[in-house]
Amino acid sequence: MRILVVEDEKKTASFVRKALQAEGFAVDVCHNGDDALAAARATPFDGIVLDIMLPGRDGLSVLRQLRERKNTTPVLLLSARGEVNERVEGLNAGADDYLPKPFELVELVARVRALTRRGGETKSTVLRVADLALDTLTRQAQRGEKKIELTAREYRLLEFLMRSAGRLCGRMMILEKVWDYDFDPGTNLVDVYIRRLREKIDEEFEPKLLQTVRGAGYMLKETP
Amino acid sequence: MTIRARLTFWYAAIMFVSLLATGVLTYREFAPEPNIDTAQQIAEDASDFREILRILFWCGVPAGLLALGGGWWLMKKSLAPVAGLTQAAEKIGAQNLNQRLPRTGNGDELDRLTEVFNGMLARLDDSFKRIREFTLHASHELKTPLTVLSGETETALRDESLSAAERERAASQLDELRRLARIVDGLTLLAKADAGQITLAMESVRLDELVRDNFADVQILAEPHGIQVKLECCEEISVNGDRHRLRQLLLNLADNAVKYNQPQGSVTMCLRRDWNFAEFKITNTRQGIPAEILPRVFDRFFRGDPAHSQTVEGCGLGLSIAQWIVSAHDGTIKIESATMKPTTVAVRLPLDIH
Repeated sequence: MRILVVEDEKKTASFVRKALQAEGFAVDVCHNGDDALAAARATPFDGIVLDIMLPGRDGLSVLRQLRERKNTTPVLLLSARGEVNERVEGLNAGADDYLPKPFELVELVARVRALTRRGGETKSTVLRVADLALDTLTRQAQRGEKKIELTAREYRLLEFLMRSAGRLCGRMMILEKVWDYDFDPGTNLVDVYIRRLREKIDEEFEPKLLQTVRGAGYMLKETP
Repeated sequence: MTIRARLTFWYAAIMFVSLLATGVLTYREFAPEPNIDTAQQIAEDASDFREILRILFWCGVPAGLLALGGGWWLMKKSLAPVAGLTQAAEKIGAQNLNQRLPRTGNGDELDRLTEVFNGMLARLDDSFKRIREFTLHASHELKTPLTVLSGETETALRDESLSAAERERAASQLDELRRLARIVDGLTLLAKADAGQITLAMESVRLDELVRDNFADVQILAEPHGIQVKLECCEEISVNGDRHRLRQLLLNLADNAVKYNQPQGSVTMCLRRDWNFAEFKITNTRQGIPAEILPRVFDRFFRGDPAHSQTVEGCGLGLSIAQWIVSAHDGTIKIESATMKPTTVAVRLPLDIH
């Protein structure tokens, strides 16, 4: 998997590159919009992390150019402005995801992973991870032979985690997809819900499926 | 006493006195010389004097009344621009400093006053704008170093060679950095709102669904504090609004109600329709807020109770953001509190009529 990181702030570019490389991605870095367009033309990337604020040609303009050229590489926009309008503007211009600065690294990595796996989603109505099954039609959860009662929110959280099974899910990502929050509420809601969910799906069973990844994320995974 | 009444009174009084003076002078001019002192002459003089008094009275009183009425009208006419000025000036606040008072353009004293007043507004507007721009730029400038700091701290945390103590320190730094990031986020939001740079994504929103979602979350958040959360009523209500901002509003209010509470206390929520408004009330068993600080609780970074604020974590902008969200939806927000009584925050939002 090869990722292009377009970020003019050298230090940010550097730790983003390190974090993505640590996850096994090959990473190219550009510091301005024109270089990014040239690089994207020369190499087929699996994903592009694109900062909006760039010297010269800005990120949105790079994105529009890419899409005009029928380049469909998934793009994650980064922005220090971080406002709803910009998110909408970015998504309209053809971005696949949007992350406001300052972001958490795990969050960024998780989103890049999700981007590069787009389209591979299961069409089945029953999601399975090990012996945990979730029927998305009847909203029934089951581990082994035991039926599990879930509240509406717990169901949505479990469904999201199961759909991204094996992938790291950052807190902001969970808040966005499960709670429909586009802001950081500054509460420990996600952690509390994860704890409750863990009590229901993991406590009496082996192996443990719901894992906390030190730093800021969670993952539902078959093998530890 | 208004200027108008005072001036009219003086105007009428001067009119009356000048008329009196005219009367006296006229009498002195036309009265015969009192050289022959006969009884008949004295009687004639006395009757002349009464006659003049009578004329004076019958002319003076109507003239005085006329002056009073005319003066009242005159004053009204000349002071009308002042009344207009007062009305227009009353409507100008921090939010619409860009408005100007209407000028007559005839170059009189009041027009000149309006001009000076408008000049003052322009200067005020300018300095308000500078402060807003400063906050906006400051919060924006802070984001880049914050991104670098938290990114590098996170990278450091992944280093397997860190000792447990170093790891602890880095994790605690990361926590504080995240808190700082939330404060900067809040500041940016408010600065943008002040500058009118935020457009809400308005749509028809089922407020009762948002309240139910919020209720479920708050129950979870309140559990570790031993606080009971109740949803007293939740009528089916739609408002025209921005779904994300309304969620943020509800969470801010509820989070506040849980944080500023007493152990084993309670939080009660209620959403009902009141005339053409959706009314959301959230009450908590908090020690009453003293009346003198009540109007300031919506101020940015205001913490009423210094003893309490030490133990409560938060960015200090929750209620300011809540207030902005409500006003951006053309609603009102009020906080009611009294010593030994529960504190209630009441939000009213106009219903979606379509």
